[in-house]
Amino acid sequence: MHPEITRIQSMLDSQGYVADRELATSVYLAIELRKPLLIEGGAGVGKTEVAKVMAKALDTDLIRLQCYEGLDATTSLYEWNYQRQLLHIRLQEHSDLPLEAREREIFSEPFLLKRPLLQAITHHRAPVLLIDEVDRVDDEWEAFLLEVLSDWQITIPEIGTIRAKHVPYVVLTSNRTRELGDALRRRCLYLWIDYPVFEKELTIVRRRVPGVDGQLADQIAAFMQFVRRAKLDKVPGIAETLDWSAALMALHRDHLDREAIEQTLGVLFKHRDDAELMRSQWLDHLLRGLEQIDREPRPWNQQTIERVADNILPRR
Amino acid sequence: MTFCRALRHRGISIGPKEAADALRALVAVDLSDRRESYLALRSVLTSRRDDLFIFDHVFAEYWNPPQEQQALPQMPQPLPQTGEAQAATPTLLRWLDEALEADGEQMPAYSPLETLTQKDFSAFSADELDEVARLVVRIARRVATRVSRRMRQARRGRVDLRRTLRGSLRRGGEIIDIAFRRRKIAKTKVVLLADVSGSMDLYSRFLIQFIFALQHTLGHVETLVFSTSLTRVTDALSEADLHRALDEVSRHVPDWSGGTKIGHSLRTFLKEHGDLLTPRSVVIVISDGWDTGDMDILEHAIAEIRRRAGRVIWLNPLLGSPGYEPICQGMRVALPYVDVFASVHNLESLRQLEKFLAVKK
Repeated sequence: MHPEITRIQSMLDSQGYVADRELATSVYLAIELRKPLLIEGGAGVGKTEVAKVMAKALDTDLIRLQCYEGLDATTSLYEWNYQRQLLHIRLQEHSDLPLEAREREIFSEPFLLKRPLLQAITHHRAPVLLIDEVDRVDDEWEAFLLEVLSDWQITIPEIGTIRAKHVPYVVLTSNRTRELGDALRRRCLYLWIDYPVFEKELTIVRRRVPGVDGQLADQIAAFMQFVRRAKLDKVPGIAETLDWSAALMALHRDHLDREAIEQTLGVLFKHRDDAELMRSQWLDHLLRGLEQIDREPRPWNQQTIERVADNILPRR
Repeated sequence: MTFCRALRHRGISIGPKEAADALRALVAVDLSDRRESYLALRSVLTSRRDDLFIFDHVFAEYWNPPQEQQALPQMPQPLPQTGEAQAATPTLLRWLDEALEADGEQMPAYSPLETLTQKDFSAFSADELDEVARLVVRIARRVATRVSRRMRQARRGRVDLRRTLRGSLRRGGEIIDIAFRRRKIAKTKVVLLADVSGSMDLYSRFLIQFIFALQHTLGHVETLVFSTSLTRVTDALSEADLHRALDEVSRHVPDWSGGTKIGHSLRTFLKEHGDLLTPRSVVIVISDGWDTGDMDILEHAIAEIRRRAGRVIWLNPLLGSPGYEPICQGMRVALPYVDVFASVHNLESLRQLEKFLAVKK
């Protein structure tokens, strides 16, 4: 393995992020080739986390742009500080400066509100720019983003063209609610993060939930593998696993049973329908799975889990 | 190079830039490590999840042909890790450019077959089907882009602070005229309710394809299919690849090609997905109207939908057959509540669909 990839992997590891080789290689290439990294995967598999950890590992700042439907240039790029401009006009009311000079004054950098994209471009050192949930924006903004990503310069009519001092490291995440354009995809490196296998999830739970009981951690990780086979609207990700583990810990549970699970369903399923489905249709099967897996010799692995899961649930 | 071409043949879009980046990536990693080269190439050359499977397949085929299992033969010349590699890159790039351009010309251009567009779906022979399927997708794309263009033109003003302020400067800071900025309004949402019962089986294949393409281009489409019961398949259809999407759909739909209970299904729709109906939503029902259920339920449901949605379009494949009149009971009951009653029996009619997709009431 390339020494730099090993270094990145252990760096991610030291930040508490369990990274496999695929992820480390992609992050390495994103840094090395200075190409944006597009990360896709289900909700809660740790896509956003990659950017955060990357910023820490590179010891640089993270600038985050949260996308939403209707995001436009004024909220992502820059906006004039109108209040300040108005105030300034008032103060200058009796000045002798010609109109043009006054106008130039209020449309200068001190009156500019920098939004994430402009911030990233003018940052004093190359930051990590996280463009989160890019699938939520509309086509126009996507085209606009593409332009920014290719030229790394922004034109503000009143000021002129601002060129990036340092090209940022860019991470884009998408939940695939809308198919992204080909042009944007092709500009990026691509990484698909799948739901973790049993072993990886177990490692994450043990690492991120301090003081978790070994038996409970095993059961949680196994249960999550079962849950992801159930036909639900929103499949819970690692984020949910961690929240759930914390909730179980707070309730001083040391193993999983019907009562513990029913008490904490709301943490695991953020949709009422899913929680309801779980209670009415799936829970019995999953509990049977837990019983069966508990009879298996430890340590369990993905094969053990899958064998049991095939018994109790059809494959998704 | 040839590897990139092999990938392109399988439908992964790779331009000169990607191929060049692939080279740069190979220079950046440890080439003697096969897994690492694989991961690096994959990261650069794929751009969506479905590409991954294709990539794996082509990679295995290419660098490990079945006969010579162990050898790593056609790996690109192990590029030295140092400055030499960098120096070599521009030359490689130039060569790449030329090679790719030459290759691009061979890309088959698609020419629509006019004769196919008039033919009823039911009259196609098996070997025409693939051709038609592709045409359906193209039409859907075109319909979708026109629709969204039209939506962009529907506008409403909003205060433009920037221009307002500019103007006020000339009057010593007094705001007299408020300038407006035009902004895009919330997009129209399309809700598709497609009948997949036995009587519609023939057409559903095309319709699903059409819906799939429409959803992919338009984005704001909710798709539900029904026969005796109703299933939401928007997520299943959002799989980027049609065949996998179809698999996914058939897995989710319990009664593909069963009988029909339109009224019952529409009522379920209202109950469970009623929030999809707003004055901005266009509801498209695709069905022949052969209902084996209760007519009262159907009438109530369609009336309710009519009240809450911006527009109701009923597409009926039978309307294309000469001499057809909407006499079957279900259709007769529903008709008074429908804004547009049109046909979807051939490709031409799919094309016509575009003009119905705007909300105006």
